[in-house]
Amino acid sequence: MATALAQQPNEGNTYTFSSQPRAVPNRRKYRDQFAQQNSDEVPHHGNLMYDRRVIRGNTYSQHVLPAVAQPDPVEIQRQQEMRRRAMARKRAREQLRPKSPEAVEGRKHIDIQTELYLEELADRIEEADVQCQTDDFLDRPPSPLFVPAKSGEDKETQILDNELFNFDIEVKPILEVLVGKTIEQSLLEVCGEEELANLRAQQRAFEELRNAELVEQQRLEEQDRRHREEKARRVQQQREVQEKERETANKIAARAFAQSYLADLVPSVFGTLAEHGYFYDPVERDVESGFLPWLVDAVNTDIDSSVRARALLDGLLREVIRDRHTAYRALETRIEQQRMAEEDRRAMVDPSAAAASETQSQPRDEDENDAMANLEATGAPGDAPDADADDSAAAKEAEDAGDADAEGEADGEGEADADGGDGEDEN
Amino acid sequence: MATSVISANLPPNIDPTKATMAYGNGALRRLNRELQDTENMLTRQKAVKALCDYLHDHEHVAAAIHEGIVVSLKSLLRDTDVTCRQLSTMCFYVISQHSVGREAILDTGTIEPLSALFEDAEDICRRNAHMAIEMLSEVPFGADGIVQAALVPKLIEKVKSEHDEIKEYILDTLHFCLIVNTQDALKAHGMEVFTSLLASNLATIRAKAARDIMDLSVPLDGKDKAVEVGTVPALIGLLGDNASAVRANAAGALSFIAVTTQGKYTALNADCVNPLLPLVNDPNSEVRVNALKVVTCLAEAPEGRKILTGHVEQIRQLESDEITNVRKHAEIAVRVITWRP
Repeated sequence: MATALAQQPNEGNTYTFSSQPRAVPNRRKYRDQFAQQNSDEVPHHGNLMYDRRVIRGNTYSQHVLPAVAQPDPVEIQRQQEMRRRAMARKRAREQLRPKSPEAVEGRKHIDIQTELYLEELADRIEEADVQCQTDDFLDRPPSPLFVPAKSGEDKETQILDNELFNFDIEVKPILEVLVGKTIEQSLLEVCGEEELANLRAQQRAFEELRNAELVEQQRLEEQDRRHREEKARRVQQQREVQEKERETANKIAARAFAQSYLADLVPSVFGTLAEHGYFYDPVERDVESGFLPWLVDAVNTDIDSSVRARALLDGLLREVIRDRHTAYRALETRIEQQRMAEEDRRAMVDPSAAAASETQSQPRDEDENDAMANLEATGAPGDAPDADADDSAAAKEAEDAGDADAEGEADGEGEADADGGDGEDEN
Repeated sequence: MATSVISANLPPNIDPTKATMAYGNGALRRLNRELQDTENMLTRQKAVKALCDYLHDHEHVAAAIHEGIVVSLKSLLRDTDVTCRQLSTMCFYVISQHSVGREAILDTGTIEPLSALFEDAEDICRRNAHMAIEMLSEVPFGADGIVQAALVPKLIEKVKSEHDEIKEYILDTLHFCLIVNTQDALKAHGMEVFTSLLASNLATIRAKAARDIMDLSVPLDGKDKAVEVGTVPALIGLLGDNASAVRANAAGALSFIAVTTQGKYTALNADCVNPLLPLVNDPNSEVRVNALKVVTCLAEAPEGRKILTGHVEQIRQLESDEITNVRKHAEIAVRVITWRP
């Protein structure tokens, strides 16, 4: 109606509003509970606060206005249908509600007041003669608690302000304690934190110094280490060079020595070899090794045979000498006997025999010489020393001649000596 | 009109989660008794919560240790209740801020049960445990205790998978442990883990990882490992970082790695000099010093010296720096660069 009229499409974009004049409706004191239900009958106010076209609240969640001013008849019908259905549902719910049982015969239920304080129930609305222009309808405030009128006697005592209890004074010590305690506690905590922060700052400053010094120290250590290593390396290198030099010098010396050593090696080797007889005259060697032994052997056999011959001759001589010796013994004894006989005769003949004996000795010498001469004539003991001399000479010869046959010779010689000795003793 | 209605709500000044404190010397004795209450979980919770605030006073810490609170807290670490665990770890954090507290923690052998909480399901328990361990590691004997408890490999394992906040604490702890001992961390592939952390989004983590690399490359093995794992290019990439701490620590780590001949040539081949030279004029003195040290180390190599000879003037300017340390190291750097065999 009024609202419908208001929605005149306008050429300009400005909003215009117009409304038909109408009578002010009868106003009630309280908002009608059922006003919403038959809101169709209630005329709409031209109040912007309730105008649906004015957008309130969050524009994001605004409902979109229908494109056409007139609602769709189908839509209206649907809404009515829904409303009817809602009414029916409500009614059904009311019927289903549990109710007190039906009254017995002859009685009927009536409503009575069960409240503590009875009052007349009247539906009559108080018609007051007060008029005022309210700003807006308010919800009905809840009824205040009913307090029945006081009965009895009242006594009063006047207590002036601050007479019994002055909050400000009373609360002051408590408050002071509370605040003091809280402040003390917080002060302690803050002090502690501040102290820690100070310590940390100092520690950081110290660490800054310490770290820098530590790096410096490590850097120097590292530098020192590198220098030391470098030095060791240099020394090592130097040592190697020296080693090599020494080796080279040794090699050169060895080479020179070897050269000089080898230089007179060949002549000395030849000299030594020649000295040791590796270079010999074949003829000389043949003479030494082949001829001389043979010669010695031959000489030995020669000497042997001569020795044997001499031994044989010695035997012969011994035989002869023994014979001569026995012969001379016999002759001597005969001569002795003759002389004895002569002396006996002389002694008997003359006392001057003494002189005679002297002269007689001469003839005996002469006799002896005669005997000797006889002996020599028979080939004779005078030969014996010669034979001896011959023997020794032969032995000497044998010794000179042979080395190897010396022993064999010695045997022969021994025999010869023994023979010779015998010969001398007997002489 | 005055009414005598007693509100159901407690007055605002009373914390229902905290135990009431006994007066004076009795406070700790009572708290200790309540901590050992195995019957009532609520009692323990309240006591440990109250203790947590109470311990912030130094005098109370000493008294608590004297009272044997540490032992009670140690048994509380294995509590089934999350609140008890997390508050007791918090207490340990507070205790470990004091020297007496750290000694007491080491004496009672609390490192092991604390480290058992690294596996806890609750983030806050793990965080508090790491905070306590980190605080403990700040002094050499604490770090020594942690190393002896063989926590270093475990921490390195954890740093791979923890939350970023906890990672920071672990990296701090490792920093202090690495000053004491680097072998364990090297064996546990610490260098690889730290190198992967250099790519983190958080500047603090990058800085701390770089610092840990620096600590790890102090011994010769660490330097070789860093070259082998390829830490050097990652560190060079961090030289242009926005955070000065990252730059400082990256330069520091590089200076340690570049001490060896192998490290020098790896850095030179990765074109270390160009990003390094702007750092010499960095506003942060630590960055300047560390950059100068890298320059000094690189200048020891003939190739590095050849490159750096052209920039001697820039370094010579630092000889008049206002910080003594910078002056000193600038002089050393100039001396090394201009050295002639």
